[in-house]
Amino acid sequence: MDTAFLIESVIKVHIVLGFVLLVVPFIVWMERKVLGHMQDRIGPERVGPFGLLQTIADGIKLFMKEDLVPAQADKAVFILAPGITVVTALIATTVIPWGDTVTLFGRTIPLHIADVNVALLFVLATTSMGVYGVVLGGWASNSKYPLLGGLRSSAQMISYELAQGISLVSVVLLAGTLSLAQIARQQAHMWYVVPQFFGFAIYVISGIAETNRAPFDLPEAETELVAGFHTEYSSMKWAFYFLGEYANMMVVSGVAITVFLGGWNGPVLPGPVWFLIKLTAFLFFFIWLRATFPRLRYDQLMAFGWKVLLPASILNLVVTAIVVAL
Amino acid sequence: MLISAFLFAMFAGIAIGCSLGVIFHRNPVHCALMLVGVLLSVSGLFILLNASFLAALQVLVYAGAIMVLFLFVLMLLNLKGENPLLTRGAAKGFGILFAIVVFVELLWTVLSPQVEAGSMGAVPTVPRGFGSPAAIGRVLYTVWLYPFEITSILLLIAVIGAVVLAKRKFG
Repeated sequence: MDTAFLIESVIKVHIVLGFVLLVVPFIVWMERKVLGHMQDRIGPERVGPFGLLQTIADGIKLFMKEDLVPAQADKAVFILAPGITVVTALIATTVIPWGDTVTLFGRTIPLHIADVNVALLFVLATTSMGVYGVVLGGWASNSKYPLLGGLRSSAQMISYELAQGISLVSVVLLAGTLSLAQIARQQAHMWYVVPQFFGFAIYVISGIAETNRAPFDLPEAETELVAGFHTEYSSMKWAFYFLGEYANMMVVSGVAITVFLGGWNGPVLPGPVWFLIKLTAFLFFFIWLRATFPRLRYDQLMAFGWKVLLPASILNLVVTAIVVAL
Repeated sequence: MLISAFLFAMFAGIAIGCSLGVIFHRNPVHCALMLVGVLLSVSGLFILLNASFLAALQVLVYAGAIMVLFLFVLMLLNLKGENPLLTRGAAKGFGILFAIVVFVELLWTVLSPQVEAGSMGAVPTVPRGFGSPAAIGRVLYTVWLYPFEITSILLLIAVIGAVVLAKRKFG
């Protein structure tokens, strides 16, 4: 472990994490703008050109707001919980390859922070830790709705994690590696979405459920649970949950792009540009879904996860295994 | 070398601190959280030992799934004043007994001749691909095939048992 490697890693960490954190306000802006137009409204337009600075202004407002901690709350856990959500999401971004290698100052630099040979498992492991942020936030608030919301969402996240993991395993069978960079490199000629279309569909559905996005946003079903697990949160702690949700969206999209949609591969343009184009398209898809579908009922959601998605993903895995073995 | 020594000290320290927390915290949910801390730092130690696959599985299975279910139960039961299972004296007696057993076991391991010849002397070199999913899979499906299959059948039985127990209430 030489010094140059250490410096290189530190720089990459700053660039990637800085990018993820800075781009979140613009995703929020995109969400509001796209949702607005889909609902025949204009969306934010007052602050800055096209309302671009609206979310920055919202962020400053959240900074300035009073930071409330309920009197009966478990203070340490209450403060810890939003941090867990953000940190786990940010850790997962470290293994996503944003492009192939580049050569700078005579060094070949891969465009991901850590080349873990079990990168795919690493992403699954960190996102599974993200459940803690939600369930602890709900519990520590020491109030009814957050607890119900927290329990709901952790049940949902655990259930959908299974289908998500198994749908990724079928790609691993084809690729023969768990390294995200290598999986992306193998898709130079054909994306894995072609042979693994069912796997892709299962992954996307469970990914949406995993990030608690509409139509699977049961944890924060405002008609029954006020705001779910973050009812008692305000100010920057609430903003952390918000940040974590969007960072998680980027992780889910990043993994989907790397594993199924060819990663950074694409003609003419350089790798990172292709990756960003695909990422934007994927995030747009997330928002589109939110504007299109009504929320599921809770029992429907669990039944769908366990009785449809999980068997379908296992079937897909078995068929893939038989095809690979032949 | 210096960095890995520092990381080892850090993870080991966190693991010990959190283990103490598991024992000494009053609130069961805090104890469970401390246990999560132990599991995470142990997986850090696994990574230092070149076993990244094991580390990822440790986080994925234990910290990410099993402990979440533990927390679930603890939160739903909402234990306030815990009723001790044993009387104070009996608990102390068992504690001392187990401490002695563990101590003797550790002493046995440290003093046994194999350890002296192997890891105490020259550090054995790590074989290529050690700890990778492929290497672990190969060993599991060749050398340890029968124990592996028996374990999976045991788990299947446990799953069926859980379903049967859960169904009985309604039927």
